[in-house]
Amino acid sequence: MSEELYKRLMETVVIGEPEDAEQIAKEALEAKLDPLTCINKALMPGIQKVGELFSTGEYYLPELIIGADAMKAALEILEPALIGGQKRDVVGMVILGTVEGDLHEIGKTLVGTMLTANGFKVVDIGSNQSVEAFVKAIEEHGADIVGASALLTTTMLQQKKLVEALESAGLKKKVKIMVGGAPVTDRYAQEIGADGYAEDAISAVDIAFRLMDAPV
Amino acid sequence: MDRPPIEPIRTTRKLSFLDDQQLKALQEATFQILENTGVQFPSDKALDIFSEHGAIVDSETKIVKIPRDLVIKAMQNVPRYFTLGARNPDFDLKLQEGVSYFTNDGCGHNVVDFKTREKRASTKKDVGMAARINDYLSSMAFSWTMVSAQDCGLTSPLHEIDVTWRNNTKHYQSVTMMGEEICRYGLEMATVLRGSEEELRSRPPISLIVCTIAPLVQDKEAIEGALVFGEKGIPIVVMSMPTMGTTAPATYAGALAVGDAEVISATVLLQLANPGTPVFHSIFHAWADPRTAAYVGYSLDSRGRYAPVEMAHHWGMPSLGGAFGTEASEPDSWRSAAEIATDPLLVALAGAEIVTGIGLRDTYTTLYPESFILDDDIYHSARFSLLDMDVNPDTLAVDVIAAVKPGGHFLSQKHTRKNMRTSMVRGVNHQLNKSGKYRDPSEYARERVQWILDNHHPEPPDEDVQKEIDRILKAADKELKN
Repeated sequence: MSEELYKRLMETVVIGEPEDAEQIAKEALEAKLDPLTCINKALMPGIQKVGELFSTGEYYLPELIIGADAMKAALEILEPALIGGQKRDVVGMVILGTVEGDLHEIGKTLVGTMLTANGFKVVDIGSNQSVEAFVKAIEEHGADIVGASALLTTTMLQQKKLVEALESAGLKKKVKIMVGGAPVTDRYAQEIGADGYAEDAISAVDIAFRLMDAPV
Repeated sequence: MDRPPIEPIRTTRKLSFLDDQQLKALQEATFQILENTGVQFPSDKALDIFSEHGAIVDSETKIVKIPRDLVIKAMQNVPRYFTLGARNPDFDLKLQEGVSYFTNDGCGHNVVDFKTREKRASTKKDVGMAARINDYLSSMAFSWTMVSAQDCGLTSPLHEIDVTWRNNTKHYQSVTMMGEEICRYGLEMATVLRGSEEELRSRPPISLIVCTIAPLVQDKEAIEGALVFGEKGIPIVVMSMPTMGTTAPATYAGALAVGDAEVISATVLLQLANPGTPVFHSIFHAWADPRTAAYVGYSLDSRGRYAPVEMAHHWGMPSLGGAFGTEASEPDSWRSAAEIATDPLLVALAGAEIVTGIGLRDTYTTLYPESFILDDDIYHSARFSLLDMDVNPDTLAVDVIAAVKPGGHFLSQKHTRKNMRTSMVRGVNHQLNKSGKYRDPSEYARERVQWILDNHHPEPPDEDVQKEIDRILKAADKELKN
């Protein structure tokens, strides 16, 4: 019975059915299954499979994103039900956002999805976020990495401000800073003191693993 | 193995470069040239046919003047639509309104060797290689002699047929057959391939292209070869290549008039000899550089490039449109793409029934095998441009737009999942490497050629048929080479 449910839950992620994922997660809790086991035996292998299918070229971006959406829908049911000190295994905790004055979201959202599919826990704080909002989220979630996105030459200056704010707050050594966006370059990232730059969502995953000092 | 189907350019759209009055004026010029100036036919056989039908023949100059009434009468017999047969019946081409069938370029004499990258004279093996690539590509509806089999001597046109059939199952249009003997041998080979003369006539697996010599001269060997094909009702393309300033007036209209008079005079002859012979009309005009006299196929002002297609239709003939043929000597330069970029689009919009020719460089002379793939991409770009767009509730996706709301994104939508795979068609410019970066198009094109050569092996003719073809080839070699 339980094995059957794990399998069905995993399938919702692999084939990308967020509504079904939510429903089966509820069924699992009603059947008194351990939420952490559901995450480890169904959701994680499911999203890993999606990642594999994406990297072999079989899956395209929508399959990847909808698979991650399905995992997210199930996690929203299962995570609040974790018992006592139970915590799901994650590669790292990432805060993502687009900087203040900038409403462009899609690049940052893709990075979030790719990181989620690769075992990171991602909190996406959205677009047009102030430096203060980034700092607050980093502190609140104990982030390992912060990713700040900017699409405009006028807003990329906010990335520099974020690095400076993290230095002032004494967080610079605790959290690694990744920057990205169309006008941003590796050189600019180095100039402003960021730890990593990636030009697209796929290479962002490699950078994040490197920053976590974890195997890619 | 799976072989892509033929994907011709289909369109209901039409672009007119000439209006009715201009078409009539051009036709009138041809009538006047044929009646008053005449065309030289250095062939006694042709002169006899003209004499018998009342044309004015000067046996000394061999110039034939054709009265208007005779032209009109003869031209009434030219069929507008017919079928080009193929070895594989799935690839038979039925000429029809709104469909343009393309082929590769020809006939080059240099090959940049695919392995050594050395430029050398083309051989029979190269003809086979080009025929095999052609057979695989969906852009290629039929095949042309892309390069010549220079290692085969006088009978090379027959060896080109042989090696093409061993490597290609589509209709073959020979660009090199000339003269009565060669053409008779070629038709004997085609009869063996088809099984009977009736089959040869109804589904000809071969056709012939012959060129005129501007201004206003017919080639003896070309015309006599064409007459042999006409006897059997096999399609013939008559192509004129007037060069503005040297072999034609330095004006568009004048060059087209010269070219048209050459094509129509040959067509009249073929109809007088064998009424109903299928003939394609074709004019490839060019410029002589006013400083160097060099041949220039693409001037910046190329407005008349596809006017000949309309002239053909005005005569009630199908047209072979001249596309591609860049003067660039590199396989993948800006020039090589820029010169030809609009060709397939414009020629299809003009309504040419058959079109040449993908893949050569250096003004129809040099084959880089990868150019075949690069030009194929330009072809498909035109083909897609002319496809109809689906506009319906599902493709409009108003409900999906409402679900995403302002500022959202569409990647999470099942509608996107369903459609995104096919909405962006990957050409040579968008092939990804392992890191998700775009690859060098030429490198990809070379790989593609290698893949086709390694994996695509079209079925050769039946053993018995091949034996018979070998016998004919040997006989031709013995008779014609001595």
